[in-house]
Amino acid sequence: MGNTMAINTINNISYILLILVAMIFAFSVSFSLIRNKRAKFLQLAVLLALLAAASGWLFLANANAVLLNLFHIYSFSLLFTCLFSILFILILVLSYDSEADYFYTIIGIIATGAMIVPMAGSLITLFLALEITSVATSFAIMTKNKVHLEAAMKMFILSAVSISIFSFAMVLVFPYSPQLALAGLASNSAVAGNYLIELGIALFIAALGFEAAAFPFNLWIPDVYQGARANLTAMVSGINKKIGFVAMMLVLFIVFAQYAWFFSGIIAMLSLATMFFGNLVAMAQQNVKRMLAYSSISQAGYIMIGIAAASGLGLEASIFQIIAHAFMIIGAFAFVFWLESQYGMNTISDYDGLTQRNMFAGIGLSIIMLSLIGIPPLLGFYGKFLLFSSALGAKMAALAFLGIINSFISVYYYGRLMVAMHRKTNKKHILISRNTAIVAGVCIFVIVGIGLYPEFLMQAASIAARALL
Amino acid sequence: MIAGAYALVQEIAKESIAISLAAPAIALLLIAVVKEKFSRAVGVASTGIVLAVSLFLLAYLYAGHSIAISTSIPFISSLNINFEMGINPISFALFMMSSIVLFATSFAGNVHRTRQKATQFLIVLFQLASAGLFLSLNLFIFFIFWDIGVIAMFFFINSLGSESRKSAAMKFLIYEILASSMLLFGILMIYFYTPVHSFSISKIIANSGLIPIGEQAVIFASLFIAFIINMPVFPFHLWLPDAHTEAPTQGSMLLSGILTKFGGFGVILLFEMLPISRMFGNYIAALAVVSAFYSVLVLMRQDDIKRIIAYSTITEMAIVLFGISEFSNFGLYGSVYAMLSHGLLIAMLFLGAGSIEVIFNTRNIHILKGIVKNAGLVAYSMLAGIFIMLGIPLSSAFIADLLIFIGAVSAFGLAGLAPLLALLLVGAFLYLVISRSFMSTGKYTRAVGSIGADQRLAFCVLLFFIFLFGAFPFIMLGVFKI
Repeated sequence: MGNTMAINTINNISYILLILVAMIFAFSVSFSLIRNKRAKFLQLAVLLALLAAASGWLFLANANAVLLNLFHIYSFSLLFTCLFSILFILILVLSYDSEADYFYTIIGIIATGAMIVPMAGSLITLFLALEITSVATSFAIMTKNKVHLEAAMKMFILSAVSISIFSFAMVLVFPYSPQLALAGLASNSAVAGNYLIELGIALFIAALGFEAAAFPFNLWIPDVYQGARANLTAMVSGINKKIGFVAMMLVLFIVFAQYAWFFSGIIAMLSLATMFFGNLVAMAQQNVKRMLAYSSISQAGYIMIGIAAASGLGLEASIFQIIAHAFMIIGAFAFVFWLESQYGMNTISDYDGLTQRNMFAGIGLSIIMLSLIGIPPLLGFYGKFLLFSSALGAKMAALAFLGIINSFISVYYYGRLMVAMHRKTNKKHILISRNTAIVAGVCIFVIVGIGLYPEFLMQAASIAARALL
Repeated sequence: MIAGAYALVQEIAKESIAISLAAPAIALLLIAVVKEKFSRAVGVASTGIVLAVSLFLLAYLYAGHSIAISTSIPFISSLNINFEMGINPISFALFMMSSIVLFATSFAGNVHRTRQKATQFLIVLFQLASAGLFLSLNLFIFFIFWDIGVIAMFFFINSLGSESRKSAAMKFLIYEILASSMLLFGILMIYFYTPVHSFSISKIIANSGLIPIGEQAVIFASLFIAFIINMPVFPFHLWLPDAHTEAPTQGSMLLSGILTKFGGFGVILLFEMLPISRMFGNYIAALAVVSAFYSVLVLMRQDDIKRIIAYSTITEMAIVLFGISEFSNFGLYGSVYAMLSHGLLIAMLFLGAGSIEVIFNTRNIHILKGIVKNAGLVAYSMLAGIFIMLGIPLSSAFIADLLIFIGAVSAFGLAGLAPLLALLLVGAFLYLVISRSFMSTGKYTRAVGSIGADQRLAFCVLLFFIFLFGAFPFIMLGVFKI
């Protein structure tokens, strides 16, 4: 009896998350009235920190609450809310010195959308949250000066295409449950298996593939990554793309859980194509940002291996790799952001002798590259280990093998950067700003720390995965 | 009193694994924070402690104590992965060798005396990897330490290597990551296709018969490729000579001395684990013979001392593979003995090559003339090394060759003696090199540098252990219990 009451209390407390998200939205809109940049930064950062703490605590308390069929707060969403809040704080710290005042308004709106995606309880919520995020992101890229207009335009148009495909897919499943609640759709669409549903699945995959940068919907990625300022590139790759995966998991594993046999094959093929495309094209790149853009496409392919496996272990692996890749890519772009904006370093040959010019940048970036290759005992290795395990566990040995081959191919371009960074040079010393050092330091700490003791994050990912299935 | 001492000995033996992992781990952190000039002391202390532990263990095991020292700590309990470490005769022999080579490398390997901190950091990182790898009883832990060792070696070449190291570093990384990718695929296959779902080597050995034959063949292929890339065996040997040419002396010593033994140790494990490997015994022996002769023929066209020694590594490792493929106790323990002997020997030869480069500023055998006059100790050590490579009695290589070829004759008949011819060719060519460049009289290359007392001491230490294991083979054979 007391136990039930405790659970109810926790579930009621969990609505506080929605209040916090609403506060982020309200504050960020009101930012247009405030002049003090420091105050805006602190308000947003404190709210995000509160959100991270609250969702972390609720995750440990195993909360599970549904609000009006629009929001569903449970382990899966709590883990991602916690993750995204931390990542947004990192992005805010990284951007503090270089961004204009209105940046905080936009980032607050993006954060609102990003927090709602994992909490979505219906397709409507999901749709709105995705749209808020992607439109606001293109505005964020566009502001400051006109150089970035092309990148913003590409992002805007492609997210518009993605949204329209998403709404068409929604129309196809609408007859099965007019409320469009995820859980309701699941029970209704399972009974009536027909081609409309299968077309709907394919369209959902296409729409969310745009967000998650799956082949062949990934052509916007390199241009946007290269065109945007690197702090925003960090955000797009570390948060926006991950939102696409979260949405994909929600739609596939809640709404179409009965159709795992159908989407598993599609996702496996897409995953292979994405990996090969990303890795092979990345090998030819000279520009570091473009190289990282293609590498993050290939990482998206790895993440999809877990979704294709469609098992508890597979989801755990995907969630783990989403978290791992977010920290790795934000750490990498933190360095790239600073080196590009202050020293104009773009190509791999500009990175010659980085270790000699700045020890922290050289060694830090090397650790991140090693983690991206998947060298144990770093965070990236455990993600790949779980992903390939899940593919083998689902009797997809060929997928696992080709994934491992891709992981091997990627050593070429990551290795090339590492080789360049450790060459001798007589160029001047480089200074790294405090903010960049903090962000990169946190990311490297996470990469090495969780790498040495991965059990904790694996447990969390496993709890979230089981909550979703 | 005596009982107290005995209890202490027991206690040290029990904690030996923990000490040999904790010492480098602590030393890593220390080297990261101390000043450049103290880093060497920390590195030598770390490798020295582990050498002391391994010598203690040698005495302990030779005294007839039980060898069952093992620990198991849960690492990732959700996947049933434990941090299992233990000592068995084979892993002990390699551990012993690695601790001697690492000790010599840490105090003498840096012949140029530049970038001490980076050197010691990488040596200690490599020490952690090799101790962990040789003592692991779990394939997952084995894989983790394997990759740490590979990355440490990559940075040896990439950060401390010569000016034109770019492509060699890249080649090394690509080959070695291909090996570790195949290794990862193989161990994952084993995990999912053995009914017990475990990475623990003992459990895999007990259950591997239940893996379907087709899957066994796939696992065997991927693991075997991984290990022979690392050993290296023809046709996957191309990275080794380049890596050696560009690597610093300390890197070369560890690369040929210890890193190539990872692969040899892996092949032994693989043959123990998978029953199917017996089917391929003859083919593997043939591959080993091809590799041995191929490397000898290429060796004869080289004029860089380091490249010559590098190709001789391929010959020696081919003979190790040949020994393992006999599937007999003679072959197995002979191969382990060969790896023990070759690790010590090759570290000494690379130290010699590095010293020659420092003293004469060249490694080309056509330029070097009569170096015995200006660098006597180095020249005589190299000469001794060549005789040891040929397997003269009283050297550890003699015992190794004896065991391997006794086994070979019983396994393959007289044809089993073929690789001896390769060994003979290496010896003949190296004799030519020595007589033309090292010992020639009349013209003398001028010395432009000098080596320190630490390098001289390292030559002595390595030669001492080579002859210790050669003159008193019963010490190690007692540990093997054969």
